Amino acid sequence: MNWIDFFTDPVLRAPTWGTLFMCIASSLMGVILFLKKKTLIAESLSHAAYPGVILGVCVCGFFFPLHEEWAFAAVLVGAFLSSLIALKTIQWLQIKAKVPSDAALCFVLALFFGVGVVFASAMQTILPAWHKHIQTLLFGQAATMTDIHILLYALLGFSAIVFIGLVFYPLQALLFDREFAAASGIPVAILVRLIFILLLVSLIVGMRSVGVVLMSGMVIAPAVAARQFTDRLHKMLFLAAIFGALSGLFGNILSVVGSLYFSTEIKKMIFPTGPMIVLVGTSFAFLSLCFAPKRGWVFRKIRIYSFRLRCLEENLLKGMWKKGSLPFSGLQEMLRISRASLFFVLKRLVRHGWLVHEKGIYFLTFDGKRKASSIVRLHRLFELYLAETLQLQVEKVHKTAEEMEHILTPDLEARLTQLLANPKKDPHQQPIPEKI
Amino acid sequence: MSDDLKCYSMDVEGLNVNYGQTPVLWDISFQIPKGLLVGIIGPNGAGKSTLLKSALGLVKPLSGKIDLLGEPISSCTRQKIAYVPQRGSVDWDFPITALEVVLMGRFGRLGLFRRPRKADREAALQALDLVGMSSFADRQIGQLSGGQQQRLFIARSFVQNADLLLLDEPFAGVDLATEKSIINLLRAKKEEGKTVFVVHHDLPTVEEYFDWVILLNTRLVVCGPVKQVFTRENLAQAFGKNQGLFDEAAVLTAKSVSGIL
Repeated sequence: MNWIDFFTDPVLRAPTWGTLFMCIASSLMGVILFLKKKTLIAESLSHAAYPGVILGVCVCGFFFPLHEEWAFAAVLVGAFLSSLIALKTIQWLQIKAKVPSDAALCFVLALFFGVGVVFASAMQTILPAWHKHIQTLLFGQAATMTDIHILLYALLGFSAIVFIGLVFYPLQALLFDREFAAASGIPVAILVRLIFILLLVSLIVGMRSVGVVLMSGMVIAPAVAARQFTDRLHKMLFLAAIFGALSGLFGNILSVVGSLYFSTEIKKMIFPTGPMIVLVGTSFAFLSLCFAPKRGWVFRKIRIYSFRLRCLEENLLKGMWKKGSLPFSGLQEMLRISRASLFFVLKRLVRHGWLVHEKGIYFLTFDGKRKASSIVRLHRLFELYLAETLQLQVEKVHKTAEEMEHILTPDLEARLTQLLANPKKDPHQQPIPEKI
Repeated sequence: MSDDLKCYSMDVEGLNVNYGQTPVLWDISFQIPKGLLVGIIGPNGAGKSTLLKSALGLVKPLSGKIDLLGEPISSCTRQKIAYVPQRGSVDWDFPITALEVVLMGRFGRLGLFRRPRKADREAALQALDLVGMSSFADRQIGQLSGGQQQRLFIARSFVQNADLLLLDEPFAGVDLATEKSIINLLRAKKEEGKTVFVVHHDLPTVEEYFDWVILLNTRLVVCGPVKQVFTRENLAQAFGKNQGLFDEAAVLTAKSVSGIL
């Protein structure tokens, strides 16, 4: 099997293109939900579609038993109505019955999905032949898609992109500050209605490939991943669409390849598309949460540790400044850190040219002395600022200054010097070293 | 008297507003002329923000009417009114820049499908400059300080070119320098002939800042020129404890009306 086959082969291309477009549409809607902090609504509405799906298939099974190829239309209509009723129920519970929103969402999810499961078991005996339609919609099965699905999903993906492109600015205002948007005359009610319709449609259409149960994961994961990389809404939408498309693509390929690889002559194994797509999508989200350059966990930790290391180094230089030279044991007593980390810090300081090492004793180099004295200067300047300008008690200023000496920029230093009229003594009557 | 002078900037008659079972505003009536800097003063939970929100049609009153610039709020009058919500009401981690926030002031006029033009961008940049924030135009809003965020909201209301400005607690959580610069900007707006309403709760500055005050504590205590009505007795009535009995009675009626009792 060739990579290109997934896009061109008459059997393979429908699932590939279908899931691709569907995932783009749902991840764009996901960004809207994510920024509105309403992600759970996707979970409730997709589960709530289940009873509608079953009733739709039943109607088709009873009245048009010979037109099985049209079952998908009945599924779409049933699912849409069922989700719409669920949405109205949630809104009614929140506004009229004053139920907290998370409780309303949970209640509707459980109620509708429960009813759906009951219908499904009844159907197993009444319409056994049609039951398989429903089973595939629980976890999604892209493999049986046809070219008509490509058209349908392409249309949906396109309409989501066009919608967001057209109303981008009012949408941004609505998501950021709804009350302002309403007060300034943006037709908020119409916009919200359009968003919900598009959301419902994308959830329902997505069920075919991801399934009722995992649909919300597909909606949200790309938005979570995209948020990690940017601080602009249009870039976030663009990235989410890319992440969504990639999840759809790789999820589908994994499902096909995996099912082929693990199946034997006797035993057929099927990896449903839905879980595969969601796994790929959540992997993107997880990796982004860890490794995104600015907001990612790993780089944040690295920045935190490198700041701590700098504080430690600067404290060490500052300590040496008073004495000029110190043996290893003296340094250890001063800083109270483990031998290994002290050794590491000293090694770095020697390598960077601030210290020299001779017969077990460490000396400040000429550059080291200058650097140390500039740190002491910042410390004492800030102490004086706290004590004189802000009228803090002299005993209390040392601790704050201890932190600020590592943070003050040259610009702040210049302003401090000017404000305090280039002082010579700190509040403890110690000399403030001259600026070099 | 000409038509323009006849109508008030804010005209409230018999206004009642409830949140669930709690009455927030109770039978409020007052009229305020145009061209003033008006303070809306009262203790926490007095219904100050609710008064603004019902004027804007964001909260539905139980009964009564509230007119701005001589008309009830409509899509047409909204173009003449600018609203500055409380700073805490939005998510400052939202992916948006300072300039984009200010630009929002133009979207109401542009409608659903039109994009902001070059003129709108220029106006937004000028407004940012006016509040002293032009160097922050491309910053993500979460990186701004509290005072800067507040000035951003003020800039957004200025690009609306409104005749009436309604500001909800613009001085909450900002430093003194920012407070002074904001009040000077608002005074300049008044000099241009605009009317400015400011929800405020710092009593010592009231006489310095405002021409008129509305003293509010669920009921209207008093409304009028600050020199005449900002008296010790009126303040005691607005902030005092004599209110307790009235509050209890009000809660009881509201419960009966909504079917709880």
